[in-house]
Amino acid sequence: MDGIHPPGPAARGLAWATALYLLLPILIIVPVALTDQRYLSLPQDGISFQHFRTVLASPEWLGSIWQSFTIAVAATILSVVAGTLCAIGCWRISRRATELVRVLMLLPLIIPSIVYAIGLYRYFGPLGLLDRFAGVVIAHGVTGIPYVVITVSTALAAFDPRLEQAARGMGASLSQTLRWVILPRIAPGIFSGAIFAFIHSWDELVMVLFIASRDVFTLPRRIWDGINENLDPAMAAVAVLLVLFTTLLLMVDRALRRRSEG
Amino acid sequence: MSAAGHALAIRGLTKRYGDFTAVDDVSLEVGQGEFLTLLGPSGSGKTTILMAVAGFVAPSAGSILLDGRDITPLPPEKRNFGMVFQGYALFPHMSVADNVAFPLRVRGLGRADRDAKVRAALDLVQLGQFAGRLPRQLSGGQQQRVALARALVFDPSLLLLDEPLSALDKKLRAELQEELKALHRRVGRTFINVTHDQDEALSLSDRIAILNHGKLIQSGAPGELYERPRTRFVADFLGKSNFIEGSVASSDAGGFVLAAGPERIAVRGQGAPEGTRRLLSLRPEKIVLLGEGAGADNVVEGRLLAWSYLGADFALRVATPGLGEIRAVLPAWQAAFAPAEGLPIRLGWSADAAVPVEDDAP
Repeated sequence: MDGIHPPGPAARGLAWATALYLLLPILIIVPVALTDQRYLSLPQDGISFQHFRTVLASPEWLGSIWQSFTIAVAATILSVVAGTLCAIGCWRISRRATELVRVLMLLPLIIPSIVYAIGLYRYFGPLGLLDRFAGVVIAHGVTGIPYVVITVSTALAAFDPRLEQAARGMGASLSQTLRWVILPRIAPGIFSGAIFAFIHSWDELVMVLFIASRDVFTLPRRIWDGINENLDPAMAAVAVLLVLFTTLLLMVDRALRRRSEG
Repeated sequence: MSAAGHALAIRGLTKRYGDFTAVDDVSLEVGQGEFLTLLGPSGSGKTTILMAVAGFVAPSAGSILLDGRDITPLPPEKRNFGMVFQGYALFPHMSVADNVAFPLRVRGLGRADRDAKVRAALDLVQLGQFAGRLPRQLSGGQQQRVALARALVFDPSLLLLDEPLSALDKKLRAELQEELKALHRRVGRTFINVTHDQDEALSLSDRIAILNHGKLIQSGAPGELYERPRTRFVADFLGKSNFIEGSVASSDAGGFVLAAGPERIAVRGQGAPEGTRRLLSLRPEKIVLLGEGAGADNVVEGRLLAWSYLGADFALRVATPGLGEIRAVLPAWQAAFAPAEGLPIRLGWSADAAVPVEDDAP
């Protein structure tokens, strides 16, 4: 194509610098996690997997990983159901009022999570949801809705409304149309939203700091406490596991998208 | 599939969108097993009428009756009408067989019955071997046939077609026109088709309803509409036409003579009050080229202005002193002369050829 020239050395350099700037802070934890020392440092006499062993043998770490996982799964289900229904509802009604609903649904993204957390703390006290599994699931589930609304709305924008008309014209009820025509078409969007909602809950710290204390002790919370109390390289090992898991989820998302486009 | 045509009646159908009237008091009857085409330019309201029959558009006034029963308040899924959408609207995530099975699945039919009917429907459109494919793996014409099979598989009371052939190229369109016509004969159902393509309407339909600006202008058999257009719009939209305006010079039981400038045009048919204005529609192919000394009911002389050779036909534009520009079309093999600008030409036509029409054009 005309007008597209190969990038010059300056542009190339800038691109690489940006990529490194994004990646290095994440990559630095890998050697730290493999350190042979007993404190947070780079390896000195060789690499060692002892800190991974420590993490995977520690009931506290494993407990937090399991807790984070179950919370994230439950919160994702909440986000996906509410977000998908909201997106489909707005799409079907499609009036000016639904634009307002869409903006409202994005609020959790726009409002700083610390503000949200303070509000939750005030409400959850009287409701008995502080330091409860259900409380954290609700908090994470509700704040995960925007991701689902965005991805499902995008999928619906590409959905041919004549397919719905065709289904109705052939005698399909609303729920049959939803199950057999609309949902299969927007499934990739729902999956994407689910993965983002999961990641959102999986690495959320600020709200957990406010609404959970002892019974609910998620993985990010344990890392945070670990950093505050002792500089155990086990944290770096956990961080590596966290990054690997998140990367894996994003790769699944990409693969699903590619399949739905292909 | 059994022959089970149903009759549809549209009574005073009106649809307004704010100040805009998309359909204005249209009444139409569609007989059992009839192939009706709603024909009109874009914005004529033809698609709105079809969507109202399908149940996707709620009429502002009027009613729709199936075999005498009022179905106006029924939602689309309760009407049991088959529909072929513009662009087909096949479900892209389902195989051809699943697409065709869809209307049976929503009706809760068992798998064995479903499979048998799907196979019969796909055989009907000669696509049996494509059952396992996805719609995007088929050509446009094949997709169109899948859409037809899907619309017919559940024995619908009516088949509605929304510009079913508009997405296809010219040759394929002609091929599918014939198939559609044959299919209509085979299944014996009532078809309602929407199109803006006059050739498609003429070749497919038992009856055509011509619409413009939301109003029904004329309906009737294709030949009737073509030969006896009621208005200037119908004559102009369905085929091509010359228009001759003048006042009635004399009249008797066998017809009248129109004075158009210096010319006197004999028109056979009903008489008309002397002195009144009349507009005539004259089809270009009804004009013949007259040699030296040959005569006709009406003869007009002029000079050749332009010509196009179209293979089968030869189209002429002739400037006449009395009637302005006249278009004539004759079989190319009859045009035994070397065309040249300014060539003197004698045109003739019989007193049956021109028909009086209402002047409804702006």
